[in-house]
Amino acid sequence: MMHIREEINQWLTENLSGEYEKVRWRGCPGDEDAYPELRKEWEMKLGAAGFIGLSWPEEYGGRNLGLMDIVAYNEEYARHGGPGRAGHIGETLVAPTIIAFGTEDQKQRFLPGIKEGREFWCQGYSEPNAGSDLSNLRTKAELVGDEWVLNGQKIWTSLAHESDWVFVVARAVEGSKGRDGLVFLLVPLDQDGIEIRPIHQISGTAEFNEVYFTNAKTSQDNIIGEVGEGWKIAMALLAFERGTSTLGQQMLFKSELDMIVDIAARNGAMDNPLIRQRIAKAHAGLKVMRFNALRMLNGTENGTMTKEGYISKIFWATWHRDLGELAMDVVGDEAELVDGEFSRMQKLFLYTRADTIYAGTNQIQRNMIAERALGMPKEPRGFNNG
Amino acid sequence: MAHFPFNEDHDMIRDVVKGWLKDWDDYGQKQHVIAKSGQAYDPDGWKTFAQEQGMAGISIAEEYGGAGLGHLGRAVVMEETGYVLFPSPFFSTCVICADIIETFGTEDVKSDWLGRIAAGEAILSFVDARSLPTDNGEVKLVLDAQFADMLLIALPSDTGTSKIVMASPDADGITVTPSETVDPMRALASVTLNGFAPKTNDVLGAVDNADLDKVLTIAYGALAAECVGGSQRCLDMTLDYAEQRIQFDRPIASFQAVKHRCADMFINLEAARSAAYYAADSDNTDERLEAYLIAKPYASEAYFSIAADAIQMHGGIGFTWEYPLHYFFKRARANKSLFNSVEDSYDRLATLIRQGAA
Repeated sequence: MMHIREEINQWLTENLSGEYEKVRWRGCPGDEDAYPELRKEWEMKLGAAGFIGLSWPEEYGGRNLGLMDIVAYNEEYARHGGPGRAGHIGETLVAPTIIAFGTEDQKQRFLPGIKEGREFWCQGYSEPNAGSDLSNLRTKAELVGDEWVLNGQKIWTSLAHESDWVFVVARAVEGSKGRDGLVFLLVPLDQDGIEIRPIHQISGTAEFNEVYFTNAKTSQDNIIGEVGEGWKIAMALLAFERGTSTLGQQMLFKSELDMIVDIAARNGAMDNPLIRQRIAKAHAGLKVMRFNALRMLNGTENGTMTKEGYISKIFWATWHRDLGELAMDVVGDEAELVDGEFSRMQKLFLYTRADTIYAGTNQIQRNMIAERALGMPKEPRGFNNG
Repeated sequence: MAHFPFNEDHDMIRDVVKGWLKDWDDYGQKQHVIAKSGQAYDPDGWKTFAQEQGMAGISIAEEYGGAGLGHLGRAVVMEETGYVLFPSPFFSTCVICADIIETFGTEDVKSDWLGRIAAGEAILSFVDARSLPTDNGEVKLVLDAQFADMLLIALPSDTGTSKIVMASPDADGITVTPSETVDPMRALASVTLNGFAPKTNDVLGAVDNADLDKVLTIAYGALAAECVGGSQRCLDMTLDYAEQRIQFDRPIASFQAVKHRCADMFINLEAARSAAYYAADSDNTDERLEAYLIAKPYASEAYFSIAADAIQMHGGIGFTWEYPLHYFFKRARANKSLFNSVEDSYDRLATLIRQGAA
């Protein structure tokens, strides 16, 4: 049988063509508003070819592929400049959570929509007063008859406006605090009780949204786990990704660095000794990032996070943010001029300010490294968390 | 399961080396003994390490009497000796000179000299005299020349080439003078050539300068692993100290300013470790060259940053001579500029990138 790397390589060579040429290298983080409809069609095409859910068990339509196979797939996909995956939250976060904690009915209901690239998901975790301190969330869920009724607000919900479902962590026990009394619910977005407002970002785009819940409803069947297990499931979901897309992400980074080198070679910046040093260091950092990932992936086969795995997020986020700054310095004076819309380099510079904030700020990452990798004393808890 | 990218043999060697060096280190007191002695060399220690422990031949091919554990084996030794600053001729002899002989030597020279090196019976020092305008002059910063049984000298030749000769340090026309150094654990010397005439049968060969530079870049790159070992030591010392040191009725390790600095040290350390292991794990020649061209500046900059952070986190005690941290700080600084500087390395890398060769 053909290895997955050759399989996807062959398929992309044949199918990432024609009208889909437009979305090659597009739709990645910072560029997610590019061709949303075409990228959704692409998801259906990808799903029909059997390339969604490769790591899932065979009984749910997956192929039960191991970690390194998934890495190879992602790497090859990114090497071709495969379009940013509109369905990645459903495939890599929601599906493994449902497979691990969901009922048989839930698996039958939700997995096919994800696998066929028909249903799109977004994540309802952060709230205005629950950012780094996620356990401070206040959105309420109350069981009324056979439905959960939700009230409250989520924020930084990426691609809510392009999604069909949101998974929400909400407070289901009156008066509960912190990690207790939470519930994990799957909620349809297309209903009167939900309002989605885009957040206009410094990058000029609006991938992120505020999502308001005003007596929003979802069936009582759409709870994952039990009342009180919301925190456990929310954290398990975050652990599913496990860095398998990290080498694919690095292919994207490499293409960005190549563009910068190309500009520098054309406009003469490459002859500037300081720019040369910075480009060389960026290149070195990317090589280091790749080997970091290989070390991390080789250490996680037994499911435990190695110590060096803790540096992954802060390392790539900081590297990428620095790359954005380098991009503008390489472009030089003309980086200040806008031609209709922001250029790739301007977007790179502006959007990467988010990298060191979302999915655990650099400051939170340092706390985690100090406490979990180095065993240093834990931060004192605030007055609500004892 | 072996620790990626190492195999079981490498892991076993590491355990052995680590144990022996821990005793040698004597809780960070041995560095004082070496510094006081005025020579960065421990002949008895080297004899045991090289001969009894068999470390001199770790990366030399089995056909020449080595252990054949390759660049990963070499990285283990460099890292673990770096952790205690063991002042040994391993780098000069078993890495730099062994690589030059392996690449440019005839089969006779290889079986003779690689055999002696692997057995821990000879110390060799490489003298890069290529920048001298003539065959006479002074070459500074020569590693371990004052202890060497044999010098490997690269002499200027026709444009773009040089000739490598072997000569005893006692030969006519050669004067070796030990240098005083900021880092008291590193043995450097100046080698003066004045009327030195190599005997023809001592000539290793005429080599292309670009080829020699490639060999040297890879050999010098082994210092990346030494930087990783030293960085780990600085972080370990800092974490121990931060737990013990009480101020404001708390261990200073509980302050976020200290925790975050330690986290940054760890990030730098693990990134440098990836750089060094990536280089040691690469086998294709072009990839290996690029990987070492990256690893050496990357790990030495990380080492300096970590050692400087360690001094800051120790407060006043880190500023004293009695506390051994300064030896690592001094080594870290030296490693940034010696054996291909950070700036030169990155500039060469930029050229490769521009050529599309990296």
